[in-house]
Amino acid sequence: MLMWGAGMTVLVSGTAIILGMPLGLMLCFGVTSSNPWVSRFSRIYQSVWRGTPILVQLLIIYYLLPLIGLNVAPILAAIIALTLNTVAFQAEIFRGGLLAIPPGQMEAARMVGIRKWAMRYHVVVPQIFRLVIPSLVNETISILKNSSLVSVIAVTELMRVSQQIVATTYRPFEIYITAAVIYILVNFLLSLIGRTAEKRLAGGT
Amino acid sequence: MTTKPLEPIIKIRDLTKTFGTVSALSGISLDVDPSEVVCIIGPSGSGKSTLLRCIGFLEEYTSGEVQIEGRLLGYRRTASGLVRESEKNIDAVRRNVGMVFQHFNLWPHMTVLDNVTLGPRLTKRIPTGRARGQGRHALAKVGLESFADRYPSQLSGGQQQRVGIARALAMEPHVILFDEPTSALDPQLVGEVLDTMKQLASDGITMVVVTHEMGFAAQVADRVVFMDHGQIVEKGPPVSLFNAPESPRLREFLDTWRSRNMLFQNDASVTGEGEEGGARS
Amino acid sequence: MMQSLDLWVQYAPLMLRGLVTTAWICALATVVGIAVGLLMAWLGSIAFAPLRWAVRTYVEIMRGLPILILLFVLYYGGPSIGLRLSAESVGVFGLGLYSAAYFAEIFRSGFQSIPQGQIEAARMAGLTGTQIIRHIKLPQMLVLITPSMVNQTIILIKESAVLSIITVAELTKNTTQFVNETYAVIQPYVAAAVLYWLLVETVARLGRFVERRVKF
Repeated sequence: MLMWGAGMTVLVSGTAIILGMPLGLMLCFGVTSSNPWVSRFSRIYQSVWRGTPILVQLLIIYYLLPLIGLNVAPILAAIIALTLNTVAFQAEIFRGGLLAIPPGQMEAARMVGIRKWAMRYHVVVPQIFRLVIPSLVNETISILKNSSLVSVIAVTELMRVSQQIVATTYRPFEIYITAAVIYILVNFLLSLIGRTAEKRLAGGT
Repeated sequence: MTTKPLEPIIKIRDLTKTFGTVSALSGISLDVDPSEVVCIIGPSGSGKSTLLRCIGFLEEYTSGEVQIEGRLLGYRRTASGLVRESEKNIDAVRRNVGMVFQHFNLWPHMTVLDNVTLGPRLTKRIPTGRARGQGRHALAKVGLESFADRYPSQLSGGQQQRVGIARALAMEPHVILFDEPTSALDPQLVGEVLDTMKQLASDGITMVVVTHEMGFAAQVADRVVFMDHGQIVEKGPPVSLFNAPESPRLREFLDTWRSRNMLFQNDASVTGEGEEGGARS
Repeated sequence: MMQSLDLWVQYAPLMLRGLVTTAWICALATVVGIAVGLLMAWLGSIAFAPLRWAVRTYVEIMRGLPILILLFVLYYGGPSIGLRLSAESVGVFGLGLYSAAYFAEIFRSGFQSIPQGQIEAARMAGLTGTQIIRHIKLPQMLVLITPSMVNQTIILIKESAVLSIITVAELTKNTTQFVNETYAVIQPYVAAAVLYWLLVETVARLGRFVERRVKF
């Protein structure tokens, strides 16, 4: 049962992280845009989602969606909230990667006539991912940990399942420690994968 | 070749550029004719590179005009003055201008051939197969055809810069701007890049070269432009400029350069002796 | 709009009480976090391998663990091993011990960032070990680590929202009470977001002030 919950935890946070990548890139381009309105709007989005507790964000999404006529399953609300949150953080990670690419490369692209979006696609994005893998792994770990909060809106992931088991067995210490070990193992595995990927890519060129 | 067309490829009038309150260029006027090689020399901080970057519109200029083949670059004339042009139209005016950078600016995640073909593929909508053919041709011109599938990091600095030249060539530009193309290179690698550039000059490619290589300027340039403090101090054919400089500032610049070169040669002999001495002891 | 205003006025005392609770718990937790973090950074720098491993393990465990689990272990699991703490103390020590791992990493990177050459130069100039720490290491380190420390404190403030789940009457808990009593959603959460933002902004400004003071 705990394993089933762990699977749910990985599913919810994995979906959020993967959806967050393209959206985070877009927000990163928004924040760095030369259009003042686009960059201002992107920055406000970013500071709101980075500046408030994720638990509050989760509760707002969960209660707000029905109010605007969207009755979605808790799991969907959880994925939406975690995605909107990670987008703000990933945008900042990608921005760091963007700054690490020498501006001369962009100038070279402009001088052979490559337009902005083509440049982003061919020159910027392929390099950004190599640069930000360590930070992306950290963000994935952080989202995985924060996904424990979605238990409060009755998504039966690892945390919620542990609570249910505690309610029937009355052995909180053992159960929660077991859940803790599962979280730590998954995150350890993640950072291991991250380090391998980093080495692989670093050796690539 | 046919008779010289009336229109110069690059026409600069009263160009000024200020960074905040600092004036980088003031009142530059210069024409570059087809097939001409113009070398721009001058002390560092004299505005040479800024001028070149304005011609490529990597830098917005403050006032004056830059025309490429008769079309105003970067701005649009309206009743109320000059208005910033859209990126699309800037690209259209700039499409016949190529640029080679001091720090090569190759894209490290792509092979040499991909570096050369990306521009033509994306902007001229040339099918990949044909673009690769043209790319290999451009690489052959700089003598690097056999390096097509390497990555930039596997090449020496001189080779990387020759790829940079091939990348510019592949766009079949009408003029190529060189921004101190050998300044970031180890001394022993400078020669191969200069040789490649000489080859281009003899092929009749129009070139504007910002450089510290006086030998190259004397040998290859049709005209040499000496800049100091954001102004063109003197311009003319290399023979008269180097042998009979008119302005005191150019004379001083050339004297400094000559004495430094002598010093360098002396240094070399000194080190040579030092090494011998080291071997003896 | 008028209704919103009325609601806000009516629930202002509750929300402000929540803010104050959040603030003092976070302040104490930060003190615990910095103290324990500093201790661990120091223990980790001692040339005794088992000690280093112990610190390393602690840091890795905390970094892989959701704060919620840690709080549940302490609050619900604690009594079964004879550890009875109030929800507030669990908050202070849970958040404190959790952030201690992150603070320890910040201090470690701070110590490492001083080039060895400077230490050697100080030694050659006749400075003693403590003098080196006092005059060479600390002043430079403070400049480097102040931004990360402020950042970590802000993260701690945001994480403290989790304490609502173990019944601490802090800002998020009182916000849910506001929601439950009025069936309003937007007004309570807007108020909560603004109050969190105020707290975070205050800490950020304080941090920038300190940053200017320690800068050389």
